[in-house]
Amino acid sequence: MSQIEEKSHATNHYLYYPDEKNIPPYLAYGFRPIFLVLAPYMLISMLLWGLVLGGFLHLEFLGDTLTWHIYEMLFGLITAGILAFLATGLPELFPGLIPLVGKRLKHIVILWLLGRISFWFIDITGIYLTAFLNLAMLGWVIWFGKDAVLDKLQRHASIGYAAVALFIIEVWFFASQLGFAITSGMDILKVALGAIVVLVLLALRRVNMEAINEILEDKNIDDVFISRPPKTNLAIFTVIVFTIVEFLYPQNSALAWIGFACGAAILGITSEYKLENKFILNQPYVIYLASIYALLSIGYALMAWDLLNPDINGINHFRHFITSGGIGLSYIAVMLIITWAHTGRHITANIYTHLMVFFIIFATFMRGLIPFFEEYTNELYLYSSIIWSIPFAIYIKQYYKFLLNPRADGIKG
Amino acid sequence: MKFIIKILKDFPAYLWSGWGAIASIFLFIALWDVGNQVYGNLVLPSPLETFQTLFVMLQDDSLLAEIKTTLYRASVGFGISLLFGSLLGLFAGFFVTASIMSRPIVTILVGMPPIAWIVLAMIWFGMGDETVIFTVIVASFPIIFVGALQGTRTLDGDLKEMAKSFKLPWHMKFLDVYFPHIFSYVFPAWVSALGMSWKIVVMAELLATSDGIGASLAVARSQLDTPAALALVVIMIGSLMFIEYIILEPIKREVELWRN
Repeated sequence: MSQIEEKSHATNHYLYYPDEKNIPPYLAYGFRPIFLVLAPYMLISMLLWGLVLGGFLHLEFLGDTLTWHIYEMLFGLITAGILAFLATGLPELFPGLIPLVGKRLKHIVILWLLGRISFWFIDITGIYLTAFLNLAMLGWVIWFGKDAVLDKLQRHASIGYAAVALFIIEVWFFASQLGFAITSGMDILKVALGAIVVLVLLALRRVNMEAINEILEDKNIDDVFISRPPKTNLAIFTVIVFTIVEFLYPQNSALAWIGFACGAAILGITSEYKLENKFILNQPYVIYLASIYALLSIGYALMAWDLLNPDINGINHFRHFITSGGIGLSYIAVMLIITWAHTGRHITANIYTHLMVFFIIFATFMRGLIPFFEEYTNELYLYSSIIWSIPFAIYIKQYYKFLLNPRADGIKG
Repeated sequence: MKFIIKILKDFPAYLWSGWGAIASIFLFIALWDVGNQVYGNLVLPSPLETFQTLFVMLQDDSLLAEIKTTLYRASVGFGISLLFGSLLGLFAGFFVTASIMSRPIVTILVGMPPIAWIVLAMIWFGMGDETVIFTVIVASFPIIFVGALQGTRTLDGDLKEMAKSFKLPWHMKFLDVYFPHIFSYVFPAWVSALGMSWKIVVMAELLATSDGIGASLAVARSQLDTPAALALVVIMIGSLMFIEYIILEPIKREVELWRN
């Protein structure tokens, strides 16, 4: 037991595996069915959004397409992300916890899918059903992860608190859409984005340690990567301050300086990649993970620059460095790392993983820099969303077989 | 040589680790911006306006000349303090009698307010370079002196004994046994003395000369030009941070590596 607790790599295992009979491989561990539905959902939804925003498909979204588009890209995806992260990570961080597999797992994934369907049919089924299904999903995930918050040592409690904050923000959003709260939906979504960035930073600190130490061990590099909390906490503090000030005083010039602080603090986390003895910045996964911080940082810095500069009006374009860029790339990186490590394989980089990361970054620059190339706005909207979707298509082609088959090392899960 | 190469090799990583510090500076600037919104432009100009003023000022050759003048005065004053303070401090540390004698004098020097020195120096030397340089010396000398004194006074007797019994040649004794210990006391003293010199030079200039950054500050004050005054302050703080964090801190890190 103590040995398991001491080791902190991605190849750690749960202590107990449920004795449910005939669990198919795709339901053998938390991440499997989620990634199986998440990747195609990304593709289908990008296609649908292209059609809706391009005016080819007439979905009203209660007369406010943009707000609901952002809602879905934030909340619709993050619930799946949190579920995959917790269902895979928690049994290993807390070895006493029984993994979520089989029928229970199937039900929760179906609940997520119902949430998505209710979203796309919101004009017919109404807000209440969408609110109920989506809140139930996030609420259930938080309940599943309650051990993290109740843990006496509070090692991973911050993730639980961030998820609870996100739940409250989602309730607030639906309340505003239903007329129970006066704040505009868009303003609430900006707050939600802040909470999601905090959650991503918290999760990344753990992913970084698990993945990089795993890679170091695989390559027989005799060094340890330790990501200590202070740098991440500073970044989280600045992001929280930015989010609160943006909500209260969206045009205030002080917000610009806080934005620069966010950019610097987030980029500062990358200095942890300097190890005592070995140079690891040439390792592909280190570059992938560092790129997430870089994109988030560029996003905040550009937004800050925009606030100081009255001639540029591109803050919401620049915000895509955070959403499509930082958060999008963290989805891809986490999907890759989990899929390799938790199907009993070494975390491997190849031309496909390079391409997946490259396309996300490239699409982000296309989307985020629209204010500088206004004459090509429509083309950039279209092509950036197509390019952004390609990594998920590559994922389906390359990794579905991993998800649909038992672990390569023969261990259950 | 090896030492310098090591510093240069570690420099990029050291520089990159400064993002956290930059973040906290930006948060401070955000507070400054809030101060501007509360108290108005005359009392506290906005950071943006200050930086824009600074940018315009830096295009102007006359300001560069003022900076050069100040830099010259501070460097000469600090250089003299560094040389004599370190030598005399080391000397006093090796001899207990000298140490006992020098202590009260240093207390007098430290206890005397710099502003009083400026007044005396103005009477002695008139309005010019000497007054400023003298004030810088008297303000920074005691700091370096005490640092060097402490460094030699606290040398580990056992280590001295060991060096003696192994019959180490004098240069090894000095470079490998005494130097690292003494340096770890002297270097921080140099850094604080440098900070002190930089502050004192501006104050002395403001009161006693018609050129240099301090004098420009006096002009800005008389014209109620707060953006220019703040821009000058930014120059002073910026240059001090550059010297301390970009030049001195990497050296200090390498020198003090043995402590770990």
